Amino acid sequence: MKLLKFLRHLFIPHASNNQKAKILHPSSLSVIVVFLITFQVILSFTHGTFPRVLGYAASIPPSEVIRLTNAERIANGLSVLDENRTLDLAALAKGNDMLAKGYWAHFAPDGTSPWSFFTSFGYKYRYAGENLARDFSDPTSAVNAWMNSPSHRENILNSNYSEIGVGVIEGTLSGADTTIIVQFFASPLSAAPSVPIVKAGETSMVAIVSSPLPTPGVAVSSFISPFQTTKGLSFGVTGVLLLVLSVDLIVVRRRRIARIGGRTLAHLAYLGMILAVILILKAGQII
Amino acid sequence: MKKFTKDLPHYLSLFGILLAGFAGLILFSYDKNFQMSVAFATAGAYVAWGIVHHAIHKDLYLETIIEYIAIAILGSVIIFSLIIRS
Repeated sequence: MKLLKFLRHLFIPHASNNQKAKILHPSSLSVIVVFLITFQVILSFTHGTFPRVLGYAASIPPSEVIRLTNAERIANGLSVLDENRTLDLAALAKGNDMLAKGYWAHFAPDGTSPWSFFTSFGYKYRYAGENLARDFSDPTSAVNAWMNSPSHRENILNSNYSEIGVGVIEGTLSGADTTIIVQFFASPLSAAPSVPIVKAGETSMVAIVSSPLPTPGVAVSSFISPFQTTKGLSFGVTGVLLLVLSVDLIVVRRRRIARIGGRTLAHLAYLGMILAVILILKAGQII
Repeated sequence: MKKFTKDLPHYLSLFGILLAGFAGLILFSYDKNFQMSVAFATAGAYVAWGIVHHAIHKDLYLETIIEYIAIAILGSVIIFSLIIRS
């Protein structure tokens, strides 16, 4: 009985709460704000102190990225790209370089080009290309993001490429945990001498295929994602408030309650927009 | 319903503000700082709308302004936390 009274006081307009659900009072909203901020602080602390308990969640096998890439090529009438282990290692080296030097770009601050990773591993190319992605939690989202970007899509669907290498690296970039995906595309320079075809940002060299190398490690984690946790909590809080506001709107109109306060419809619209953003916002960037 | 119809121009302007905020947050997803600015501006515009709306209706009170500010801060905190974590 007491519980029911408390819930009524909290969620339904009544004499006990001055004809406005207690949860909608500015004092209660302030408590919710403080709770959300405190939650974020605890989330950061837990992640920093116990990274294996709460951390960045990503399950991105390089082989899956390659499979999805080739699926897009097949769907567009192109031949599949062969996975080249030298390119895999070169892509891994590029990812580690980005983490070590703290940059998120094709060219490093010290001028190191993506193509230098090809050549440093002995891969001599006629054509070369690079796609980068970070903070995606699964390979499908990353490949979809690339396909939705004209320049990245062009790389994936370029008929000049015959080989691919993918590196997936976890680490900290700009103080935040991240998973970087490096996609290297290339065609080896043929043994027969020919006029090299130079594209912007590329140079051509004699093709060398390296001897078989160990398979690069697969970056796989199985943590609870801070982003998904935040998204879930935000969805819950906003959903509850929207529900209470809807009940408030109906009850106030039915009982013809006159009170001082904001327009419930306006609050519904604003929180509705917040909910839409929560649902649409995704983790991940491409470059 | 009658009141809503009478206030339709007010609510249309509010929906315009929220639509612009939503579009800004989605379109500029590549720039976190700008996203936060858009979220902050939308919250500010929402509070401003509330003040103007209630002033026109001659029922503007301190409690009303505080209520809009509280809702705006709550929405902003939610958006900021998502942007930071993304």
